[in-house]
Amino acid sequence: MAIKVGLAAALAESGKSRAFVIGGAISGFFLSIALLALVWTPHSVFQMAIREKLQGPSWSHLLGTDHFGRDLLSMLMVGASNSIGVAVVAVAVGLAFGVPLGALAAAKRGWIDEVVMRFNDFAFAFPALLSAVMITAVFGPGGVNSIIAIGIFNIPVFARVTRGGALSLWQREYVLAARVAGKGTTRITIEHILPNIASLLIVQGTIQFALGILAEAGLSYLGLGTQPPLPSWGKMLAEAQTMLFLAPQLAILPGLAIVLSVLGLNLLGDGLRDLLDPRLRRAR
Amino acid sequence: MALLEIRDLTVEIATPEGPVAILESLDLTLESGRSLGLVGESGCGKSMTALAVMGLLPKAARAHGTIRLGGQDLLALPEEALCRLRGRRMAMIFQEPMTALNPVKPIGQQVAESLRQHLGLARADAEARAAKLLDRVGLPQARFPLGLFPHQLSGGQRQRVLIAAAMACGPDLLIADEPTTALDVTIQAQVLDLIAELVESEGLALLLITHDLGVVAEMADDVAVMYSGRIVEAGPATALFRQMAHPYARGLFAAMPQAPGSGEEGGTRLATIPGRVPNPAERPAGCAFAPRCPHRLPGCAFEPPIEHLADAHWVRCLAPRRGAPAP
Repeated sequence: MAIKVGLAAALAESGKSRAFVIGGAISGFFLSIALLALVWTPHSVFQMAIREKLQGPSWSHLLGTDHFGRDLLSMLMVGASNSIGVAVVAVAVGLAFGVPLGALAAAKRGWIDEVVMRFNDFAFAFPALLSAVMITAVFGPGGVNSIIAIGIFNIPVFARVTRGGALSLWQREYVLAARVAGKGTTRITIEHILPNIASLLIVQGTIQFALGILAEAGLSYLGLGTQPPLPSWGKMLAEAQTMLFLAPQLAILPGLAIVLSVLGLNLLGDGLRDLLDPRLRRAR
Repeated sequence: MALLEIRDLTVEIATPEGPVAILESLDLTLESGRSLGLVGESGCGKSMTALAVMGLLPKAARAHGTIRLGGQDLLALPEEALCRLRGRRMAMIFQEPMTALNPVKPIGQQVAESLRQHLGLARADAEARAAKLLDRVGLPQARFPLGLFPHQLSGGQRQRVLIAAAMACGPDLLIADEPTTALDVTIQAQVLDLIAELVESEGLALLLITHDLGVVAEMADDVAVMYSGRIVEAGPATALFRQMAHPYARGLFAAMPQAPGSGEEGGTRLATIPGRVPNPAERPAGCAFAPRCPHRLPGCAFEPPIEHLADAHWVRCLAPRRGAPAP
């Protein structure tokens, strides 16, 4: 179909963007590990073997073992699926509520805009991680509550990005042209506003995704996120710090996983933005 | 019955100092198959008239009077009903083809959209129709596939895409708001020819908004000259161009550049109308043009009378033709 040319061109050019390739490779690597961990890990992460504790790398434990003798590689794999799962749902919550709210505010203006944006300011006024700590402290620590806590604070971020992008677009002549063609507010929002701010949302989405991974690690580090015996990167860091000089790899490996996944996502976001915007594509 | 009938249309914008009338008791009539040129400087209310017809006035604006399209009073219709009319029975093209197309959507989709919305065509059918429409406006598929993005086209080509989109559902009324102002002179003529050809073959009514009297002379059957929210002179183009009665219309005519060899002596300065259109909030009493008028009289401080010069040719001036060369 002729109309697919745009998307096909974007995919064909994807090889030229170094950020997209490297970021995509790193993100894809973590994603496939996380998916693999759902069905298979080299060892059970719940099985302790005190006699094998704090071993170095070997053929049976590629990255060694922790102080309970659990396989480090398996723990990192399960940790990846944990972090990514929490971040995905948190970003989805932010998108699902934030984008419609922001689009509504921009389209209707007036008091609806005021209400939405003041609610946003209210949510922004609290440091996100502190509030997440508060929410998990009130409703009890755990995976689901940490998802809710992180997700809630994604809502105003996406609402603000959507509204800001949409406001400037509503002034464009092609929106007037769309109204002249008989399109209503909802239709214009879906057909003209959202496609034009998709690149903004994708970039913000990957940033929030990376922040979600960090937040999950932070909450777990504090003992408010993923609960034992399920491993997570943050909790592995917390447990490793008492043995920093004895077995530094216990801290370095989950730390490296966090850094790499966040870096990969940021690169991917930048690359995607360049590829999805026809104007930037022309400029290259 | 005329296709478009505007009677006593007044549009007021609410300001902190009270309502300001940007259009004042406007009357316009446009028949199917005819074209009406609406002429005037920037800021005299031409585009506002177009937006009032489309029902897209800014939120702060209030319209009174009647605008009838095929007998239906548009000002009385709810927004949903207007949405069904826009793009279906009345369409509009704009001054800036560079910005009137969505940059992230292929042109085929932008032409096909209103077909899908108003006529309920399936995607494939709508795209096939869009291809025909683009072909019709001079963008053959071989060189201009549906998947092209607006930035891959020139200004004139984009204006053609917009014309194709406007014509998609076979509207009765086409409003062209300065359709050639942003284009190169050579392209202007091509786009105007295209519009004229479509008006002819589809039997559309064309409301052509422009500040270029040359364009009007070429395209319009009837002319209405606007100044500061009012029509100051109107009539059939032939009668009006034979003898312009209002000093403002004559000023606009004199301000047109003349090509060398067109009878005018080269090297003369281009005529201008000193001053500019008054802010609607500070419009003088009486004739709004009086402060800029070279032939003003003391009586111009009062409401100017309407004088009928010939059938359908009238002027809103105390002393029309004063200072004009004899016909």
